[in-house]
Amino acid sequence: MNTFSLKIVTSDGLRYEGQAEELIVRTVDGDLGILAGHINCVAPLGMGMATAIIDGEKRYGACIGGMVSVLDGSVKLVPTTFEWAVDIDIARAKASEERAKEILANKTSSDTDIRLAEARLKRSLIRQSVTRYK
Amino acid sequence: MAGVSTKEIKTRIRSMESTRQITRAMEMVASAKLRKAQSQALNCRPYFETLYATMWDIVNHDRDFSSPYLAKRGGNKAAFIVISGDRGLAGGYNSNVLKLLNAQMEGKDASILPIGKKGADYFKAHQIPVLTENYTTAETVNIGDCFSVAKQLCKAYLQGQYDKVYVVYTDFRSVLSQETRCLQLLPLEKQGDAPSGTVREMLYEPDSETVFAAIVPEYLGGVLYGALCESRASEQAARRTAMDAATQNAQEMIEGLSLQFNRARQAAITQEITEIIAGS
Repeated sequence: MNTFSLKIVTSDGLRYEGQAEELIVRTVDGDLGILAGHINCVAPLGMGMATAIIDGEKRYGACIGGMVSVLDGSVKLVPTTFEWAVDIDIARAKASEERAKEILANKTSSDTDIRLAEARLKRSLIRQSVTRYK
Repeated sequence: MAGVSTKEIKTRIRSMESTRQITRAMEMVASAKLRKAQSQALNCRPYFETLYATMWDIVNHDRDFSSPYLAKRGGNKAAFIVISGDRGLAGGYNSNVLKLLNAQMEGKDASILPIGKKGADYFKAHQIPVLTENYTTAETVNIGDCFSVAKQLCKAYLQGQYDKVYVVYTDFRSVLSQETRCLQLLPLEKQGDAPSGTVREMLYEPDSETVFAAIVPEYLGGVLYGALCESRASEQAARRTAMDAATQNAQEMIEGLSLQFNRARQAAITQEITEIIAGS
């Protein structure tokens, strides 16, 4: 299968750099699949699972926020946070979910707190769902 | 040594020694912090560079100029995000940032958002109004804060409160060399000529307006976080160098004073002997 160069970088470092056969990411508008020879393209990322096929092997990651760009055949994934399924700390994700739920259940929480808690809940749920594909 | 008693010299040596102890300890602390800040900056660098390069690629490929983030405006209202340190004794680190800011501010109707206590103190002392004082301790600002600052600025920019947005920070080149920089964040002006000849199509998913509206705040937040990491590493490096120099200076002064002290002591002994001999 044809490959393209894929680079995944986040603010805490490089997550992957090398050849890949396919990349599927969740954009704000739904899933976007990228194969070699894709047209130049740019899309903002939503929250969801990213799947990369590298050397015939499927790898899963939790990919949240940021953008993906295809320029002259090289794909750059620049998410706000990205973790491969194997690196996800399930206990931490669970704890984060609990905390977020507590804030949401509390009627006196402020609007900003609720918004932050919603985002946190979403993130932790995505992380937990991605670990199932390990 | 006429006029200076051995006791006086001794006191000066003592005080010099305690100064040296302090500067040496500060150097050690800065070294430890530098290691952490440096690894953070190096970790962040690929992100910073990729984000920056990708953004400019997109901007330079842009063929429909509908996004307000790309349009150049004639106005003179500029917002400056100034990243300084929280503490002094870091050589020229803080003053260099402020010097560059003052040069950049000239002739502009500037609003300032300080990150770091030293910068905030300076603006307070010079009665320069600031946008917010929520981020006055640079050490505690995290990536989430960077993104919320970016969001706020983008919103204000779209409302026309500013015509330009800059960040003033210190680029960490190496432990021995740091450089203050002023980076224009908004608008995203095309660099040089648009790529001519082969016009490459760019697919925006779902459309260019949505794309820019979503990724520009992300870009700003990311670049801001990168600048913050660089600045933090620079601060520790600058402090380490400054404290190293101070320790060395103290060492030199102690050596000079010790020499003086020994001479004075010897002179006193010689004098005593001469008196004894003369008396016998």
